[in-house]
Amino acid sequence: MREATVRRADLRFRLGLNLRSVVGRAYPRVIGANREPSWLIFEVFLPLLGIAAYVFIYQAFYQAQAAAICPSPCTPTPAQLLALHQAGQNLNALVATVVLGGTMVAFWLNVLWSMASQLYWEKEIGNLQLYMMAPMNRMALLGGMAIGGMFMTSVRALSTLVAGIVVFGVIFSVANPFLLLAVFFVTLIALYGMGMMFASLYLLWGREAWNLSALMEEPIFFSSGMYFPAGGLFSIPTWGPAVAIAGSIVPATFGLDALRQLTLPGTAPLPLLPPVTELEILLVLAVVFLVLARYTLAYLETLAKREGKLTSRHQ
Amino acid sequence: MSTFWRTFKVAAWLGWEMDSNWTEPWLFIIYSIVKPIAAVFILVLMYVVFAAIGNVRPQPLFDFMYVGNAFFIFVGSTLFGTFQVIQSDREWYQTIRYVYISPISFYVYVMGRAVSKIIVASFAVVITLAFGAFVLNPPVPITISWSAVPVFIVSFILGLFCLLAIGITLGGATFLMARHTQTIAEAVPGIFYVFCGVLFPLSVLPGGLSDVGKVIPLTYWFDLSRRLLLPSAELQGIQTGLGGFSDLTILAFLAISSVAFFGLSIAVFKAGEYLARKAGKIDMTTSY
Amino acid sequence: MPYAVETRDLTRIFAGKRHWLRKPDPEEVERGVGPTTALGGVTVQIPEGELFGLLGPNGAGKTTLIKILCTLLLPTSGEAFVAGHDVTKDVFPIRQRIGMVSGGETTGYGLLTARENIWMFSQFYGVPSKVAKERIDGLMKVFGLWDRRDAKVRTLSTGQRQKMNMVRGFATDPDILFLDEPTLGLDVNAARIIRDYVMKWLKENKGKTVLLTTHYMAEADEMCDRIAIIDNGKILACDTPENLKRTARMDTTFQLEVDALRNTDGFTAIPGVKNFSSKNDIGKNMTHLTFILDGEAPVADILSRIMSQGSKVHSLQKSEPTLEDVFIRMVGRGFE
Ligand SMILES: Nc1ncnc2c1ncn2[C@@H]1O[C@H](COP(=O)(O)OP(=O)(O)O)[C@@H](O)[C@H]1O
Ligand SMILES: [Mg+2]
Repeated sequence: MREATVRRADLRFRLGLNLRSVVGRAYPRVIGANREPSWLIFEVFLPLLGIAAYVFIYQAFYQAQAAAICPSPCTPTPAQLLALHQAGQNLNALVATVVLGGTMVAFWLNVLWSMASQLYWEKEIGNLQLYMMAPMNRMALLGGMAIGGMFMTSVRALSTLVAGIVVFGVIFSVANPFLLLAVFFVTLIALYGMGMMFASLYLLWGREAWNLSALMEEPIFFSSGMYFPAGGLFSIPTWGPAVAIAGSIVPATFGLDALRQLTLPGTAPLPLLPPVTELEILLVLAVVFLVLARYTLAYLETLAKREGKLTSRHQ
Repeated sequence: MSTFWRTFKVAAWLGWEMDSNWTEPWLFIIYSIVKPIAAVFILVLMYVVFAAIGNVRPQPLFDFMYVGNAFFIFVGSTLFGTFQVIQSDREWYQTIRYVYISPISFYVYVMGRAVSKIIVASFAVVITLAFGAFVLNPPVPITISWSAVPVFIVSFILGLFCLLAIGITLGGATFLMARHTQTIAEAVPGIFYVFCGVLFPLSVLPGGLSDVGKVIPLTYWFDLSRRLLLPSAELQGIQTGLGGFSDLTILAFLAISSVAFFGLSIAVFKAGEYLARKAGKIDMTTSY
Repeated sequence: MPYAVETRDLTRIFAGKRHWLRKPDPEEVERGVGPTTALGGVTVQIPEGELFGLLGPNGAGKTTLIKILCTLLLPTSGEAFVAGHDVTKDVFPIRQRIGMVSGGETTGYGLLTARENIWMFSQFYGVPSKVAKERIDGLMKVFGLWDRRDAKVRTLSTGQRQKMNMVRGFATDPDILFLDEPTLGLDVNAARIIRDYVMKWLKENKGKTVLLTTHYMAEADEMCDRIAIIDNGKILACDTPENLKRTARMDTTFQLEVDALRNTDGFTAIPGVKNFSSKNDIGKNMTHLTFILDGEAPVADILSRIMSQGSKVHSLQKSEPTLEDVFIRMVGRGFE
């Protein structure tokens, strides 16, 4: 080949290429959010509604419990006062569970939406083939999508947290902030690794996979205990533990359980394992998912290329 | 009339094809049931956990929540379905302009498209209720007396019609807010979930918020459906804020507000279309 | 010296629509939902520096070939090399060197400006931002998009979006550029700009190669160094436009306009008729016939055959061979 056409392929170049790709793909999502500031209102206020519904359920239960402890008009005896205090603490822990779950749901939806189902849509409009014929690593592409979505997602997650504290009066107390941060970030990495793995399915199945991930939404919220402590599953005699164990493959399960224990010391309801053990499991999950994602992406890309499904039929 | 019927039939067929053609029908039906049942399980577990750590069983509240949640399946599928029909026809298939010659025939069309969703939703609701009545222990005491059946049927039809009208109203609104479709689709059911007394009595809501539900017709629908299906005495002890009205009064509220929403939906749809045409947004797509 | 593009007996068969958990029923296979041979043994060699044209009607397999060369689709059998690398194994160096623009395509993120959209793609090729921006600005001027450089893509017309995609194709400075019907649906001026730029780019940058597919005869004739005529997944001829026409020149080409003909069977049975095509003009209620003949002798037989159907001949004309005639001679039907 001629001099002019020699191209670099060394490690440094590849690293630069993939970093540029991450930035390039993240750009439209960040810009998109900024060009349409009305997004902010929707992203911040509306998800709170779902959270609020769950919080009010617990509050309704609590009110019934309080009325049972001390029927109105209530002039409590010390024993009743203690029971009411205990009930109040339980309520705080459960509301905190919902708030933490809502925060995690924001990230979970970003994983599914920005990495997985977005690919289906990109394929339909014809962008996907342009991505797939470019030299960058596929994980850089997906990483770019995720990071781009992270801006909005963080706003959503943060506002959920703030609303939990300000509006619903949740009291968190953090004894070990480093462990808390470690759990949080490892959970995110594991979650995004899992998202990348799912994304590869979208290369092949498109609409079926899209429907499948919509289908899986509630079962996953259920089995990984987004709105109640996952340990509650163990109080269902037969199938409960099985669901809990299956659900713990989703990194959110242990992640949330550890977060609950680290923000509600002593009062976290129905914990599964000690937080440090959970962090270790999450680390393993993160590595496994990232490695698996790499291979499934490569494998399913080849499969899609063989079956002619990488490009939309209409092109 | 025969044109209406034909439009309706074609739309119903199209709706079924579109909803189910991504896979085999039986998989589609499973899909339509697994999702709501899993949502029910979340609530069951919330209750189980509360009972486990608080050593109390507020069973009437659970029954209240269970039936409300089952009926909410209709909100998800009918309202969201209607709304999505309008949206997807507009954006993906861009066929909508061939359909709305007049708002009324458009209504018939959307109704037809929604039929398959309503049928599948009804299936899911029946399964959910049966699960509560026969599988859960203690069971949710669901019964209906013969004398309540006519009221129930009328209320049921009005409720669905109301959902359709709300869906079309939203569809009209998204002519102008096409980019927010996904969020609106998430938000509106969320508002109903919180403010219509679906999962908890309105009296739990702080301050004036409990009055918000009183202007949304679905509140009456949920309340009436629940009264008819859960007539047992202990439930009547729950403060819904609507305890002072008789069943028939609530039905009247529902009827009046449904008609109002029907009018509103046509007006909003026409206005949305007009404004979108003026702004040149009618065939705007949401790619970003 | 390796070829920029080389294929050997390249075949691609699309399996029919398959279902989850269900076998396809035989009736579907019959309706053509079953397997299609999009490419049936294609062998081409494109040396570096060439503008190679792939000319064929819709469904001929042009896009399929391009997808395989762009590493988006695997061949069923046979081999394909781009810049000397095997498309099934060695994708990274290929992807670094290629670009592709397809004509019908009007993609892009609506909220971004044209410039930002192209910039994003340049990042996937590792082009430093500053270089990319300079290139993009230069190209936008060439393609007449400069005025619209900061307009959001959702406000661009279809033609402008198509030009934007052309800019995208060049902005990554590929060595081998695949253009899949780049002027599809564009107006005359826009198509002109694109054709001229492609030819100029090749002339000014030694060592670049373009593979262009088209179903416009004149476009292929004007632009290409060599042309392969493809139909039904097979290459029927591959030569310079001149040579292709020269083979046709050995024959005699006649154009006839006659009253609408019901029956066109039997023309090929006339001795000396190599092939023919017919096109009905419904508006004028006439049939347009093109005959490729061995000498002028068969004309009398043809005329008497037409008149025996009670049809009147409105015009009869001997013509210079075009690429279309080459195609008719080989496949026995017209083109567009
Ligand atoms: N993904 C696919 N699945 C099944 N058949 C396909 C697919 N893509 C193309 N084909 C078929 O392959 C043939 C060649 O198509 P194509 O390469 O797009 O032709 P061209 O680009 O020349 O118009 C056509 O018959 C087409 O229907
Ligand atoms: Mg093509």
